[in-house]
Amino acid sequence: MPAYPLLVGLSLIAAGGIVHGAAIDVLAEPPSDLIVTVYRAPYRESGSIDLNYLQGFALVTETRLVRFPAGLSRVRFEGVADGIEPSSALITGLPGKVIEKNRDALLLSPSALIESAVGKRVELLRTDRKTGTTQRLPGTILSDAEGGVVFKTEEGIEALRCSGLPETFSFEPLAGLSARPTLSVEVQSPNAVTQQVTLSYLARGFDWAADYTATLSQDGEHLDLGAWVTLANSNGVAFPRAHVQVVAGKINRENGELEPIDIGGPILAQCWPRGSTSDQPMIIRLEAMDRMFKKSGDAGIMPAAAMSLAEVAVTGGRKVQQEQLGDLKLYRVPERTTLASRQSKQVRLMDQSGVPVTTIYGLDLGADAHSAGQAHRWLRTKNTTSNHLGLPLPSGGIAAFAPYKGERLLQHESALRDIAVDEEVEFDLGQSADVQVTGVVEETRVDSEHTKLLPLVPGVALRSVKVDDVERVEVSNARAAAIEFELRLRLPEGARIVRADHPLGAKNGRPIFRFKVPANQTVAVRFQTQGAGDGILRTP
Amino acid sequence: MRVRLLCIGWVAWLLVSPAWAADRAVSLTIYNDNLALVQDRRDIEVKDGRQRIEFQDVSAQIRPETVSLSAADISIVEQNFDFDLLTPAKLMEKAVGQEVTIVRVNPATGAETREQAQVLATNGGVVLKIGQRIEVLRDDGLPVRVIFNKVPDNLRARPTLSVSIVGTHAGTRHATLSYLTPGLGWKADYVALYNESDGKIDVQGWVTLTNSSGTTYDNAQTLLVAGSPSQVDGGFQPNNFRPPVRRQTLQQPGTESGSRERLGDYYLYPLAERTTIANLQTKQVSFLDVRGVPAEHGYEFRNRWLGTAETPQSAQSVYSFSTSAHAGLGDQLPAGILRFYMKDKRGDPQFIGESRIDHTPMGSTLSLATGDAFDVKVHAVVDKRTRLSIFDWQTEMRYELTNALPRAVVVKLRQDGLWGDSSVKAESQKSTRLNAEAAEWSVSVPANGKATVTATFETRY
Repeated sequence: MPAYPLLVGLSLIAAGGIVHGAAIDVLAEPPSDLIVTVYRAPYRESGSIDLNYLQGFALVTETRLVRFPAGLSRVRFEGVADGIEPSSALITGLPGKVIEKNRDALLLSPSALIESAVGKRVELLRTDRKTGTTQRLPGTILSDAEGGVVFKTEEGIEALRCSGLPETFSFEPLAGLSARPTLSVEVQSPNAVTQQVTLSYLARGFDWAADYTATLSQDGEHLDLGAWVTLANSNGVAFPRAHVQVVAGKINRENGELEPIDIGGPILAQCWPRGSTSDQPMIIRLEAMDRMFKKSGDAGIMPAAAMSLAEVAVTGGRKVQQEQLGDLKLYRVPERTTLASRQSKQVRLMDQSGVPVTTIYGLDLGADAHSAGQAHRWLRTKNTTSNHLGLPLPSGGIAAFAPYKGERLLQHESALRDIAVDEEVEFDLGQSADVQVTGVVEETRVDSEHTKLLPLVPGVALRSVKVDDVERVEVSNARAAAIEFELRLRLPEGARIVRADHPLGAKNGRPIFRFKVPANQTVAVRFQTQGAGDGILRTP
Repeated sequence: MRVRLLCIGWVAWLLVSPAWAADRAVSLTIYNDNLALVQDRRDIEVKDGRQRIEFQDVSAQIRPETVSLSAADISIVEQNFDFDLLTPAKLMEKAVGQEVTIVRVNPATGAETREQAQVLATNGGVVLKIGQRIEVLRDDGLPVRVIFNKVPDNLRARPTLSVSIVGTHAGTRHATLSYLTPGLGWKADYVALYNESDGKIDVQGWVTLTNSSGTTYDNAQTLLVAGSPSQVDGGFQPNNFRPPVRRQTLQQPGTESGSRERLGDYYLYPLAERTTIANLQTKQVSFLDVRGVPAEHGYEFRNRWLGTAETPQSAQSVYSFSTSAHAGLGDQLPAGILRFYMKDKRGDPQFIGESRIDHTPMGSTLSLATGDAFDVKVHAVVDKRTRLSIFDWQTEMRYELTNALPRAVVVKLRQDGLWGDSSVKAESQKSTRLNAEAAEWSVSVPANGKATVTATFETRY
């Protein structure tokens, strides 16, 4: 059952005299079929995506045609997503055992060219500005340390581009640097064969969320709920004609170490100090340089994440199809679509109309009654089929609109968490200045009959007393219609309500008063809480 | 005197370096925590007497204090690690007081004029003495080339290790240079494909090694050690701090022995073939491929303390399996990340979450959480909290479990944070006290249905 045969197999290959370096380089064809499954940022509970920093990821599955020669070959998959996590790569459909998989992170760039040419023969090109003639001199690069380039020719040792003359190098062809992120696999094939290979990997720089629009009816008792799936790709690689799907649900992701990558850079050709007799003071130049480096540093860190997105594509008409994937929800984009590089795309998720809602005003009142102010407004419903819903609502942003003279105007924007079927849903509509809550403590009474003393050390005791507070909360309604109001109380631990002039309920284990506030009127609620108070006391 | 000695060393290096490339054999022992032991066997040409030998192509992140060189019939005088790098600025700085050739280029005609100059200073700009005059280099912005006639001895393109030795007789020696270096590390990556219909997993294990040491190791014999030897001068020692409380993945540590090689208590994973580990490369080699291992899928919910949640929280989706030789993976597992996949309706494998595992002996039971279940939620609520006396509280908890799946599920509902002397006074179904701080109920929730558990805790402290 375990995999010892593999290791034995490898030893046999080694014993059979196949030298490691003899692998034949084979380039896989570009993908003939693509599947992209986009996952949300794992730690976002609710809300929409941040196009400037996509923190989700995707599972990319590519089908490619490969012409395997007999024997050992190194198959190169060029043009995988820049955000690839190479340790997640899986390759199936190979004619033999995988010997090793590699991802070379040194990309072809001016600085990588110089780096790999250190100690090697190069040609120095020096062009005369006046005549345009170019001198070609054989030489050797001695160093590229810290961004400066030192080279040697017959004449002696010089530094690149410090003379003020147009200078550059011409390199001999170099192996091992690829233009695009490349994954390669070494495989031993018993015979020459051409077949389809499937490569799948996780890649960063994707994200998606649902974006809901809730439109209230004129009477405020129903709403139409529409939603888009908004997905985005900040990778520099496009996925043409791909099967695209998104997965809802919070997935466990370990923050594994990132594999090393060098995206390269220009040849800096730093020189010796170049101050002249008419220079500005040193400090000004240092500041200017600091700014310059900060700017270039920001641009170079994460190609897949930090780039702004160039294009927004909207795919209307047909909706995504939902299916169950283990404990997750998978939404399939119905047709093949092209997920271009640095693009965000929207596909319709749902259109539900006539969802009955109740409008609730309310406030969470903290331990002391002074923490009052404007009331919140919620639209409340239950995610059931009888309410014209009854489908999983993936997390995202929600914009609530209200009708006004035949148009819809934005009321409030908020965030929605993942909501399963049959759960209660609350859409936040923001605060209302028309409904104000004020609270006062009318009276505080210490019940000395129930005082307990606990001697700690001689002369000092812990005193525990029962404290009763009588509080009055007033809710004023400046609207021309009656409102439903919920006053949720957060009492200190151990405290409870002993008396109240309104019926007392409970929600989430907390006391709640539910009452109507008539149009243009104020309702007062009085209640008495009983809790414990502790203090250190000096005893005689 | 010393300068001359170094010059001889430079020449000696030039003479012997070609022989090394051909007769070099590198072996790497890579540990888990970004640490590797490099043993570099080369043939060196030794002359009689005192000489300096430079070692090119050692790790750019070499820890020079760990270097040891062994070869027959030599004695080591000193070891040096030079990290003064050759840059144009350094080149000019080291030329202060020395002669350089300057070539002025006439911008109108292109004609070159050569002069000898002495470098006086490089503070902010380069000041030259030409004949009896003083000039600032390129103060007028016109092109001037500066030609140096040599590179100062201790300036290098890369940090370089050099060893001064005394040879007792001339000839070729087998020398072994060994040192520790960070920048090389490895971990395991596992892929588990879960088959929902028969509850089985296929598991592949890959060794993933990464090289960010700045150097390429050609044709290296590689041995991976599943372990992290403590580094004395490591500075930051994360083990001294209490790690954040994580879900326990190892349910039952195993007691079976595998047939893999060991070094002390570490397991060894030799790569069967010599391989080239390029700088900035991520390399993967397979070490495990097992099919059809039974796995159990369940749900878990942990309420961290006796508190109320404002909204229902998802239960975790958990997969557990054995690493035993009987009905298990049949191998010990080096630490790494295990990724779960499952086939969608069209038959394409989709990623459903991952979990980190520690070094796991054979015969263990692992229980790995892959993420939150969309449809299975728990709403924990404190119905009532009463103070019985100064240090004695009573808490009535209610847990509402909902299941929007079309099948019944069992949720392991766990109440943590039972600190002090906590006891369950009443409960709607029997709990198991896992330890002093946690109680657990196994709750069946019907398809598209609900279940409620209530419990009263008394806490004294």
